[in-house]
Amino acid sequence: MTQTMPETTSTTAASARGLTRTYGRGDAQVHALRGVDLDLPAGRFTAIMGPSGSGKSTLMHCLAGLDQPTGGSVTVADRRLEAMSDDQLTLFRREHLGFVFQSFNLLPMLTAGQNILLPLELAGRPADRERYDLLTDTLGIADRLGHRPSELSGGQQQRVAIARALIARPAIVFADEPTGNLDSESSAEVLGFLRRSVRELGQTVVMVTHELDAAAYADDVVVIADGAVRAHLVDPTADQLVATLRGER
Amino acid sequence: MRTVLLASLRTHARRYVAAAVAVVIGVSFVVVTSALSAATKDGLVAGVGLPYADADSVVSAIGTDDAATVVRRAAAAGDSAAVLGYVPLPVSSGGKVADQDADIAPIADDPALRWQELRAGTWPSGPGEAVVDVNAAKTNGLDVGDTIRVGAGSRALEARVVGTVDSPSASAGGSVYLFWSDLERWSSSFYVDSVAYLGAGAEQAAAGTGATVQPAAEFVQERQAELTREVDVIAILLLVFAAIALFVSVLVIANTFTILFAQRTRDLALLRCVGTTRRQLLRAMRVEALVLGVAASGLGLVVGTVLGWALVAIARSQMPTGTMGSAAVSPAWYAGSFAVGLLVTVVAAWLPTRKVVRVSPLAALRPDSGVDVRSTAGRVRTASGVLALVLGAGLLVVAMSSNSVPAMLAGGMVSFTGVLVLGPLVVPALVRAAGSPVRGTTARLATGNAVRNPRRTAATTASLLIGVTLTTAVLTGLASSRTAVAGDLDADHPVDLAITSATGPLPASLLGDVQSTAGVSEAVALDGIDAEAAGLGTLPVIAPDGVDGVVRDTGLVVPEPGTIVVPWDLLPDGNVPERLAVTVDGRTERLLVSVSEGWGEAALVAPETLARLTADPLPRAVWVRADDAADAEDLAGDLGALATNAGVDLTDGYAERHWVELQLDILTGAVAALLGIAVVIALIGIGNTLGLSVLERARENALLRALGLTRRQLRRMLAAEAVLLSVVATVLGTLIGVLFAWVAVRTMVDVAVEDVSMVLPWGQLAVVVLVSGVAGLLAGVLPARRAARIVPAAGLALD
Ligand SMILES: Nc1ncnc2c1ncn2[C@@H]1O[C@H](COP(=O)(O)OP(=O)(O)OP(=O)(O)O)[C@@H](O)[C@H]1O
Ligand SMILES: [Mg+2]
Repeated sequence: MTQTMPETTSTTAASARGLTRTYGRGDAQVHALRGVDLDLPAGRFTAIMGPSGSGKSTLMHCLAGLDQPTGGSVTVADRRLEAMSDDQLTLFRREHLGFVFQSFNLLPMLTAGQNILLPLELAGRPADRERYDLLTDTLGIADRLGHRPSELSGGQQQRVAIARALIARPAIVFADEPTGNLDSESSAEVLGFLRRSVRELGQTVVMVTHELDAAAYADDVVVIADGAVRAHLVDPTADQLVATLRGER
Repeated sequence: MRTVLLASLRTHARRYVAAAVAVVIGVSFVVVTSALSAATKDGLVAGVGLPYADADSVVSAIGTDDAATVVRRAAAAGDSAAVLGYVPLPVSSGGKVADQDADIAPIADDPALRWQELRAGTWPSGPGEAVVDVNAAKTNGLDVGDTIRVGAGSRALEARVVGTVDSPSASAGGSVYLFWSDLERWSSSFYVDSVAYLGAGAEQAAAGTGATVQPAAEFVQERQAELTREVDVIAILLLVFAAIALFVSVLVIANTFTILFAQRTRDLALLRCVGTTRRQLLRAMRVEALVLGVAASGLGLVVGTVLGWALVAIARSQMPTGTMGSAAVSPAWYAGSFAVGLLVTVVAAWLPTRKVVRVSPLAALRPDSGVDVRSTAGRVRTASGVLALVLGAGLLVVAMSSNSVPAMLAGGMVSFTGVLVLGPLVVPALVRAAGSPVRGTTARLATGNAVRNPRRTAATTASLLIGVTLTTAVLTGLASSRTAVAGDLDADHPVDLAITSATGPLPASLLGDVQSTAGVSEAVALDGIDAEAAGLGTLPVIAPDGVDGVVRDTGLVVPEPGTIVVPWDLLPDGNVPERLAVTVDGRTERLLVSVSEGWGEAALVAPETLARLTADPLPRAVWVRADDAADAEDLAGDLGALATNAGVDLTDGYAERHWVELQLDILTGAVAALLGIAVVIALIGIGNTLGLSVLERARENALLRALGLTRRQLRRMLAAEAVLLSVVATVLGTLIGVLFAWVAVRTMVDVAVEDVSMVLPWGQLAVVVLVSGVAGLLAGVLPARRAARIVPAAGLALD
């Protein structure tokens, strides 16, 4: 693979200050995020971990401009998200972000190839054939591009989703439990590709997971509990990680 | 199961709204039909007996001359008889036309047989005195004391208005009432309904006339039954439209249930997992349909009742002289409408609910692979669809060659069924074809969404297809038969308006005045001369010359040299002599006679013939061609005033032409509006399918939004989907409708009129396509707005 630098030059790809997100009101009020301060370095693979219901998905949605935070600020690729209108946020996502979700990643009426090219098409940018061929070859889906998602295995679907997330050279790729529905072999492949995109393409990847095995592929690990950051481990060893997580139980 | 059922009704109630609306429209349609027909019957039947209230017998099925005989014999026998009927004639007062086409009816000589109610002034005491209906007096500006001129030409009559009356019987009422002896002069154009007879000698008086003589009570009873039957026929026609609307409702409801069950498969499978039996599940689903049917039908009864009473009230306030009585809906009708609504809902839900039992508990455990139900047309479906299409087409060909209406109806239904059966194959292909020329991501996504479930696509478009096919078929059929009617009208009314002088030349200024009247397109003066016709007395003979731009049908009113065209009215007893000797100043011509009408009281000859009769003819008539957009009443009023001032007569064929065309317009409009109800239901169905699909695709739409689809683009995508569906259904429906109309014209009109050509009402067809396109767009607005409001994160979290 050739080395391609991501478009951000600053060393911080995304950051949050005093980020809060509250659902409902009155008795039914839930504080999903209670003041998160976080800096995610560019060019690294960061895993966000924590127990179920701790606010991982909510944090990712706020960082990715998919949800409006209740309070605090979010800066991604040097842009402040909390002040943007819905349309501005949409255009921002289109230009700068890539996504891989746990399921429902692909549009059923489009072929795998059309799914991969969709972000470029929505942005009205010409298809980058070179990158398209590079990604599909590397991900091993070059021969499945004419198929519809329902004709692909779960692992193949996730690889198509990764190709789509990377096609537009985004500043950050957000992945929410990308291996949640996969067996361990497919999981390993998908995670391996995400790591390679960081190492070899210089991408920034932020992945939400609650699996230790998955987190082991990441460079850094952010541990969330009860809506707040408990630890931000840089290049942790397996023991270090286990110890930190155990402390949160 | 109770808790599950109630919870499910609560959560899904909103999704049933469109299905409920479809049922409410259908049921209220039936109730309104009943209310209207009851009111019409009430109005028609109420006054039927009045004119015969004091009569002993009624003589009916009788001509004018025989009616006059009966009246004479009754007088001789010491009984009294009153003719009931009317003759349409112009009425003017003080030099102004009050009513160009007033119904002039007799008033009984014997006060005992007068059924009108005196409102002001006195009853007429003899010939030369008239009473006027109060409502007619109001609209025509007549009052007690006025002198009116009734009719035109030599037979015109002057009468004094001595009173106003109310005419509470719609069937026998007129605008102006004169003594029978005054009316007898118009016996050739008088229409006799019946003769009310007071006394015992009805049989003898009617002897030899071949008329029917009945006791009054029996006659009234029969007449009422007849009127009721006529209203019933109209009510049944309306119910046919209601049935079409209800059938479209069935499609909408069935589609709703199918989609809802597809969406709830997992819930249902989970219920099966936790121990619900198939029977319990099926019963729960059907109870849901039953609840929907009961609620929607009940609401339909209420809406229909309110609407029916409101319509009757409006009709009565708009037409005080009209025939609307009071609205009523019998308990049986209510029960029937309710049952129909319930039946429609349950039947529509039957098939989709049957699929519920096939849900295996395992479906709940399978990972949800997204909604991608790809159901394509099976081989059986294709084969049976093609078979129906071929069979139907064959029947249609047979219908055209043998002019058989039953074969046509059967062929139409069978071939259309074929189209519907082939829908899942044909419609998605058409949608794809329609969507492919549109460039851009949103259009491509919309096309993909529209065809992703072929059966759903076909079912959604089927309802609109039915409505549009019927509408365009009827519109095209009416437009084509209109040309046939237009030919008849041209023959009956060759001249729009004619001003004819019965005696002496026309004033020189008249032609100029006529030409400068608003609404006159062209006017030509015709020369003529008074002539002595053997056996007919003195009559004006005029020669149409240079009238090609004025008359509608030259063949009838531009005679060959050596022939004379005499109006029916001028021939006594309708006997047509072969030749007629016409004399002017001692010069006699024996001319071949043909008979026609539509230009007033004058005979027509060729200019050459006129030249042989006289050396110096004088202008005797002005023939007028009206503008196509001219207002019939204004034109008649303006020209009538000119004619009256000149002491000559106006013959108005334009009013009749206008009236016939108005009737055709009303018929076209009414049929389009009635079918429009089915189209509205179908469009609600499209909105419904789209709304339910949007719910189903919430995650997908959220994904698209995450990937950078703006709210606007999302809205546009869903709108494009709705428009694609409605446009494909509309265009297909228009094509089939025009085809059906062509077959119908070949089958039915061909027999009556030779060489009827197909007329495509391009304007109306364009309106149909445009309206459904725009309505399709509107149908997509609500679901699109709802979908666009959802924040991506919330959409992604949805299951
Ligand atoms: N739409 C919502 N309305 C109300 N509460 C919500 C909503 N979405 C999330 N929550 C609450 O916010 C908290 C955080 O939810 P979040 O989905 O971020 O958790 P998570 O860490 O991703 O959990 P998991 O590992 O199970 O996916 C939870 O307590 C959840 O119940
Ligand atoms: Mg989560």
